[in-house]
Amino acid sequence: MLELKSISAGYDDHIVLKDISFKVNDCENLSIIGPNGCGKTTLLRVIANTIEYTGDIFIDGVEAKKINRKELAKKIALFSQISNIYFDYSIFDTVLLGRYSVKKKSILSGFDKDDKIAVEEILKKVGLWEVRHQSITTLSGGQLQRVFLAKTLVQDPEIILLDEPTNHLDLYFQVELIDFIKDWAKNNKKTVIGVLHDFNLAMRLSDKILLINDGKIESIGEPKDVLKTEIMKSVYKMDVGGYMREALKKWENL
Amino acid sequence: MGKTKTKFAILILISLVVLILSVGIGSVMISPVEIFKIILYKIFNIDALGIPLESNVVILLKVRLPRVLLAFIVGSMLSVSGVISQSVLRNPLASSYTLGISSGAAVGASIAILFGFNFLGLMTLPFFGLSFGMLTVFCAVMLASKLDKNMGNITIILTGMAFSMFANAIIAFIMAFASETAQQITFWQLGSFSLKDWSHPLILLPIALLGIIFVSFLSTEMDIMTFGEEHSKASGVNVLKIKWLLLAVGAILTGSAVSMAGVIGFIDLFTPHIARRVFGSKHKLVIPASAIMGGVFMTLCDLIARTLTAPIELPVGAVTSVIGAPFFIYLYFKGRNGYKK
Repeated sequence: MLELKSISAGYDDHIVLKDISFKVNDCENLSIIGPNGCGKTTLLRVIANTIEYTGDIFIDGVEAKKINRKELAKKIALFSQISNIYFDYSIFDTVLLGRYSVKKKSILSGFDKDDKIAVEEILKKVGLWEVRHQSITTLSGGQLQRVFLAKTLVQDPEIILLDEPTNHLDLYFQVELIDFIKDWAKNNKKTVIGVLHDFNLAMRLSDKILLINDGKIESIGEPKDVLKTEIMKSVYKMDVGGYMREALKKWENL
Repeated sequence: MGKTKTKFAILILISLVVLILSVGIGSVMISPVEIFKIILYKIFNIDALGIPLESNVVILLKVRLPRVLLAFIVGSMLSVSGVISQSVLRNPLASSYTLGISSGAAVGASIAILFGFNFLGLMTLPFFGLSFGMLTVFCAVMLASKLDKNMGNITIILTGMAFSMFANAIIAFIMAFASETAQQITFWQLGSFSLKDWSHPLILLPIALLGIIFVSFLSTEMDIMTFGEEHSKASGVNVLKIKWLLLAVGAILTGSAVSMAGVIGFIDLFTPHIARRVFGSKHKLVIPASAIMGGVFMTLCDLIARTLTAPIELPVGAVTSVIGAPFFIYLYFKGRNGYKK
């Protein structure tokens, strides 16, 4: 179980998250939504312990700050946007690096057969096995997205944090990716916490939605409670439900 | 792996050919057969190929071999240091200069030359170079960490460059105040392997071997770090610790190499780039490949430096830059599409 207790964090003098507390149970999927700049990505970074914060995070009852990096990576993995690729690794080698925290210790930091089998399995699942020798510098944004998703999944942590995983993807792949992650989490008994801009995808992925506004929790709970018209209206300053229904009507009239 | 092994075999073969050529070519030409004769006779006490000329033995064993080996070792050290800078700064165009190591080492050596320090004998210059190289990196990184707790790469590059310029200014002051040693410092700043005996390569060899082997143990971490700091942390790498370790080893390699042979530019930028082209980006391969390629390239440059305009010897640092710069620009533009900006 993941538990955040009065978390505050920010960059330099700018406070982004203010006194955030919530719990995520094992095997539960949580979608984080909120307007631009409200602190969604910062919250994922805090959970992954890649930036500093005040307050406490407990993973299965243990304080996250007391767990060393490698052990923490066995519990939590973060999938985030990698915009600049400067070095040309093959798809296979890139995903193999995801096994860093779980690989057995060996001289010259080698990966063993189990690591390679794990990579093969995941590459087959995300449809990149055939092109595994291709350099990552030659890939499209969507393919790159899948490579880094595979790298995150092969880390085999208990909690997977996804920062806008459907960016760069067309609608078909967005739905496919969300379904894939959902199935994968269910089959492997994992917890998924994803930052998503698309409310439909958020509902598709998760049992629970966390709505953040201006660094504070606005609402957390089941989608039917959080996505209620009046809450969304006050946060997004527009009638989100009305917009969705209007769009649906247009589709029905096609 | 078959392909990789073949490439390494070819690389080793090339380095042997270059080493044999380099010890053979000079004002007195020594044929490869004579070289083997000397090695068999003098080192293994075998006279199967006949007894070599005594003058050739002296030239080969006392003059050329130590010089060529020193060039090879210095080339390897600088190149591996370049690999480290590029991985830590996540930039294939970074080098020891970007981190201020070379300039710092140059200040140390200039001070030793200026005051005529000699309390450690032959080790004096390497000691000063290494200490000042490390001190510069330490100061640059400390300042970077004060400015930015996570030691972001841009912060390190900017502070490194600032320290580099500061160090160059100090050298300029030293040279202005001590005109009699200015020429010595200038020559040293351009790099040279002349007048070097066995003690030089023998001092550097253990530092080079230990440094390169140590860095090889961190090759997976270096691979992961090329994808950025947040990503590396989330993958389980203790980024801060590994960065410090790598920067320290880089400073030791460059600092001691520079203090033995002077400042030699471009090689640390150039060879890792070629190594990546041939072997891909995995540091497990890039580190040994850069070490060998750097050695070969430096040996060739030194051969050119001492033979092209003989008896006048060219500064080897100028030769590496003259050859390296255009070739590097050609390679970079040719393969520019390979890198996503």
